[in-house]
Amino acid sequence: MSNGDERREEMEKEEKERRRIKSGAAMRELMTKYYMEAKAAEGTERHIAWITSGGPVEPLIAFDVIPVYPENHGAMCGAAHMNVELCEVAESRGFSRDLCSYARGDIGSAITKGGPIGGLPRPTFLVACNNICNTVFKWYEELSRFFDVPLFVFDTPFVRGELPPHHLKYARAQMEEYISFLERITGREYDEAHFVEVAARSLTASGLWAEILACNESRPAPMTCFDAFILMAPIVTLRGTQEVVDFYQGLLGEMRERVEQGIGILPSEKYRLLWDNIPVWYEMRNLGRLFMELEACLVADTYTSAWTFQGVETEDPLEAMAAIYTEVYLNINLERMAEKIESLARRFEVDGMVMHSNRSCKPYSLGQYDLAKEFTRRTGKPALIIEADHTDSRWYNRAEVEGRIRDFVENLLGQGATV
Amino acid sequence: MDIRTVVGECLEMWRNPYPYLARLREEGERPVAFFCSYTPEEILHAAGLTPVRLMGAVRTITHADAHLQSYCCSLARTDLDMALAGELDYLEGAVFVQTCDTMMRLSDIWRRNTSFPFHGDLVLPIRMGEEVSLPFLVEEIRIFRQKVEEFIGRSIWDDALEESIHVYNRNRRLADRLYRLRREKPGARDGLTATACLVAGFWMRRERHNELLHQLLEDAEGREAVETDRLPLLVSGSVCATPDLYELLAELDAEVVDDDLCCGHRYFDAYTDESISPEEALARRMWERVNCPAKHQCLENRADRLMRQVGDSGARGVVFFLQSFCEPHLFDIPYLRNRLQEELGVPSLVLESELQSFSRGQLRTRLQAFLETIRGV
Ligand code: SF4
Ligand code: SF4
Repeated sequence: MSNGDERREEMEKEEKERRRIKSGAAMRELMTKYYMEAKAAEGTERHIAWITSGGPVEPLIAFDVIPVYPENHGAMCGAAHMNVELCEVAESRGFSRDLCSYARGDIGSAITKGGPIGGLPRPTFLVACNNICNTVFKWYEELSRFFDVPLFVFDTPFVRGELPPHHLKYARAQMEEYISFLERITGREYDEAHFVEVAARSLTASGLWAEILACNESRPAPMTCFDAFILMAPIVTLRGTQEVVDFYQGLLGEMRERVEQGIGILPSEKYRLLWDNIPVWYEMRNLGRLFMELEACLVADTYTSAWTFQGVETEDPLEAMAAIYTEVYLNINLERMAEKIESLARRFEVDGMVMHSNRSCKPYSLGQYDLAKEFTRRTGKPALIIEADHTDSRWYNRAEVEGRIRDFVENLLGQGATV
Repeated sequence: MDIRTVVGECLEMWRNPYPYLARLREEGERPVAFFCSYTPEEILHAAGLTPVRLMGAVRTITHADAHLQSYCCSLARTDLDMALAGELDYLEGAVFVQTCDTMMRLSDIWRRNTSFPFHGDLVLPIRMGEEVSLPFLVEEIRIFRQKVEEFIGRSIWDDALEESIHVYNRNRRLADRLYRLRREKPGARDGLTATACLVAGFWMRRERHNELLHQLLEDAEGREAVETDRLPLLVSGSVCATPDLYELLAELDAEVVDDDLCCGHRYFDAYTDESISPEEALARRMWERVNCPAKHQCLENRADRLMRQVGDSGARGVVFFLQSFCEPHLFDIPYLRNRLQEELGVPSLVLESELQSFSRGQLRTRLQAFLETIRGV
């Protein structure tokens, strides 16, 4: 190797190091500690609750219960290319291949304790909230039978248009029930002041998260949404704790610095794209590489922004939580979704949208064809729909998807992308 | 009309109800489509509209593919396809009850891409049979009633609604009698024709259907019980868009003695209380009736209920007949099958239907093999 080559390589390395997001390490530490603690708590006095990603976790934190998220675990199994074998376990027990692969993989892992961390710790009870889908309560009913533990269902009926008062009342009433349920199970008393503290931390963390995502409004974007998919783990699993607030404060600092110094995540950012739906967990690396090669940065997405709760104007903390959890992205009608997509597109100045039509997730995916058209109508930008499944790679056709992405990005120039 | 003609016509309707629906319109009715058995049909009925049920159709999809992915159930896909093709233009509109995620999204897609004068939504809680959800449900019904009133441009009087509730309760009583009779007097009316006569009610005004059921019952009650050695089975699932399953079972010498279908027994389960306010009564009925798998709980757990039904009816096997991609139903399958096997020693078979690629031959082969294992041949 000539001297020149070596120097170039050295420089490339340095450049790569400069672009790397440093807070990733802190996050991995945080998550490892969390999973170790959760696993160590198995079989002790501590209560462990399995909860859906959109479920109200703040009461659990306030009652000192360890929340465990099968969906986050599912993502992990997917990224580690281990979810298919777990799905197959569930399938061999009669669960259809057409059910959500998070659910199948989780049931499989409950049976075999399989996956990268040897399965999740056994729950002492379960909390399912259907604000993300109606799959979850069927899935949790099965878990409740399997582990023979109680299940609390937090029911958030679908919202069309503005949040109607009877929805809020129903959710508020269930918040109270939820609290009594926790009092019964943990033998502790509800402490409103403590709950308010937890809720406030949760809102702070989610506010920080919103600011972090907003950093991507600048050019070049300091991260891609694929980074955000990874960095969102603490907001999903541990919001309400101080560690999470601290972590996101650190991350926000780093992102702001990157923006100031003009450090982009890609070596070159020619196009800016919006991503819709859950990541294709087992393909993140390949897809990341492809988008980088195409100089296309996925600057925003509809998924990670689901955890940017807005504070609600009310004196009543339970009502505030009830409102927040009822109006999440997947629980609203297509028109409201289109508004959100349009606003993301404008704020982040994207040149187009890539939608992952996710075989596993009907509430997220049905309606995408209409949303794609609506997106183009409202913004004048093109949208691409790719077919996959978030963790079941058996449905994935890499060559086809990559080919379509290539064509799409290459055609962006002709479609008025601002370079 | 003599009873054979009536039954024949019901069978024909089940095979293809759409010409009958078009005719309804010509006869001056105002049909409004519904999909789900949780629809408060009484409110539509009291408003002078005729609720009719869309249960899919065997057809090739041409229009709906631009709006729904292929991993969506064929009921949603074929119904939307017919609407987009303009084949349902005789409808005043449709009512979408939130059961599964598919229906929840289908409502928006349907509304955005069709131009029927009426579009109704009813958002149901999933926690049925629990105190906390009842006020919500009553309010949804009240809002739905208002929406219908806005559409017809006048209010629905309470006594009209009470009258409609009465008509529908009568219908449930007749249906229940028909089901009981099938059990108590074997041979007087078989599963195929009884179900056809029940299902046909989805495509006519309830009063007419009551007359029809009445005539059918009179006929069956006048007959002698005949001992049969047909193999007793129970069918469980969502809806049977066509009579094929029942016909094949009859051909293969099996008899459907009871069902857990949402176009069958689950449709007419529980009565609406005629002594309380109509909105609350309608809400209460939905809330108490046997739940569909898209709902959580209810006063009697769905699985317990199925065990009881299988035990009572003497069914020696259960055929689960589902739509492909139907999550709520598919999730329950392993649990239900295990319990059937372990508690009752009753074997079961799972059949999935995709109307756009329907194959009677395949269905027959699978049924035949299942029946042979039960018969031990
Ligand atoms: S169906 Fe969608 S929202 Fe529900 S658990 Fe699966 S991925 Fe999550
Ligand atoms: S068949 Fe299943 S998925 Fe389809 S509309 Fe009915 S409940 Fe929903």
